[in-house]
Amino acid sequence: MTLEVSGLDAGYGKRTVLHNIDLRVSEGRICGLLGHNGSGKTTLMNCINMLITPDRGRVTVMGKEISGLDRGQIAQLISVVPQSSFTAFDFSVLDMVLMGSAARMKAWTSPSRKEIKQAQKVLDELGISALSKAAYTRLSGGQQQMVLLSRALYQNTPVMLLDEPNAHLDFCSQHAMMQHIKKVVKLRGVTALVSLHDPNLALYYCDDVMMLKHGRVVVKGPAPSVMTETNLRQALGENISIESTIDGLPVIVPRNLGKCPPETQIGDEEALLGAV
Amino acid sequence: MKQRIWVILISVFIVSLVAALTMGRYAIGIPDICGMVLDRVGLTGFLPSPSGEMSMVFWNVRIPRVIMAFAVGAGISVAGVVFQAIFRNPLASPDILGVSGGAAFGAALSIVFLTEASLGIQGFAFGFGILAVVITYFLAARSRDTSASVLVISGIVVWALSQSGLSLLEYLADPYDQLAKIMFWTMGSFQTSTWAKVAATLPIIIVGTLLLAVFSWRLNIMTQDERQILSLGVNVRKWRIIYITLSTLIVASAVSTVGDIKWVGLIMPHIARYLVGTEHKRLVPVSVFLGGSFMLLMDTLARTATTSEIPISILTSIVGAPFLGFLVLSRKGGVSKNDA
Repeated sequence: MTLEVSGLDAGYGKRTVLHNIDLRVSEGRICGLLGHNGSGKTTLMNCINMLITPDRGRVTVMGKEISGLDRGQIAQLISVVPQSSFTAFDFSVLDMVLMGSAARMKAWTSPSRKEIKQAQKVLDELGISALSKAAYTRLSGGQQQMVLLSRALYQNTPVMLLDEPNAHLDFCSQHAMMQHIKKVVKLRGVTALVSLHDPNLALYYCDDVMMLKHGRVVVKGPAPSVMTETNLRQALGENISIESTIDGLPVIVPRNLGKCPPETQIGDEEALLGAV
Repeated sequence: MKQRIWVILISVFIVSLVAALTMGRYAIGIPDICGMVLDRVGLTGFLPSPSGEMSMVFWNVRIPRVIMAFAVGAGISVAGVVFQAIFRNPLASPDILGVSGGAAFGAALSIVFLTEASLGIQGFAFGFGILAVVITYFLAARSRDTSASVLVISGIVVWALSQSGLSLLEYLADPYDQLAKIMFWTMGSFQTSTWAKVAATLPIIIVGTLLLAVFSWRLNIMTQDERQILSLGVNVRKWRIIYITLSTLIVASAVSTVGDIKWVGLIMPHIARYLVGTEHKRLVPVSVFLGGSFMLLMDTLARTATTSEIPISILTSIVGAPFLGFLVLSRKGGVSKNDA
């Protein structure tokens, strides 16, 4: 098992956000994390990456317990694709990707020609090699996310955490992004944990799904078996149903648009993070 | 493109160096300089030997001053690059954590109560410059927020306190002697550069700058969001301390010797970035040459433009501020300079 989380409790101050989380994801699989705002998706990712120290439980990657490792060692096992990345300076796309080599380099060295070639290869793999000299800050949101995905791939880790990688993308770019993630995960045998807001993306692109509600696991397992109306209603809200297109493709839709149950109020997680 | 920029930079450096060595109240010709240098290395008879007075001015006044101007300009520019990177703010300057304010307070304290001897003032300015940054750091460390912005706010607090202290010392100072000395110190000058000051300052600036050049690639990562820096495998707190310590030593060493130097640490990184892009492995050496050459030119102007010497910060502000405005307004977007 590549990524294993067992008995994990975590929170901010006195408030516990995650309760007894168990998760196992094997090589070459994408696990989607679903849940409304404040359900603990980002907290779980931060615990796995040791940005937050859990109150209880353990996280292991390839059998190595993460809590005993330093930042450099963790970054050789886990890479992260954030929602977005603000940078005040005009780095080129290639320079942004090359930052992914920091964990395997000595502090006094800089990327060699071989490293630069490898970074260009990753950009080529994702079809954005033409952008290598472009200024990252002047790219579209979708292109910037592709650069962050390239950087995580270049980091070359067995586990990749993607925290709402589609958050700022338009409809088509969301699907393009997920297709790219699926392609590289299968090609490289990476283990990916992706937090998503749109359950359709989990339904179409994830192998496994774990649904969270108020920091507890509602259900987890292979996507086709756990993406049922009952489970979705339990995790995301009562007004969800699974319909079917004329091609027979399942589509998850809200039944009563405009009516949101109280648990889907926005900002819970942000409020908690602000209280740290 | 890269070679062309380096040709331009080295040409500017040579022109600045020649101007700084030859121009001044005591004009020294290039043949005289060649003669003095040949004399010094034991090759006499090739060129006529200049007078003893000229030789004294050249070796004991001009050379230490030129070395000091280049080193201070280069060091402050590199420190500016580092502070802008670690605070992820292109408007950050090397005195953001209060080093210049602390140094000015230390210098004034020495002038009013302790000693007006040049090396004494330098020592106090250096000590208080470092102390100001240490207080800033510990003040920020008490906060639960670990972001760089807390350091900036703490720096503003310490800077404001040292400015108040400076004002109090100015109020207490003898208006006919000490006050003028304090005012002149805060405007900066290379007038009192001696070999003793070079010996006290240069090693710190050289070692600090070399170490920052060695660790320059990692500065690229320090410009990212704190969580991403950690995710990329860099211990952000440890490296922030390393970069702040090295830069503070350079700036404290520079301003304690020649007084407050304004604008250089802010504008030189911008001009360097305009030339070679943001990639720090290229940016740091370019900043060294650019900052050093700029300071040589400003110092030459300071001692030749009028009959009395103009304080250096007046010139760096007059030239620096409009030039930065010009760069910002003339900037065109599109392709990053980093791979030009």
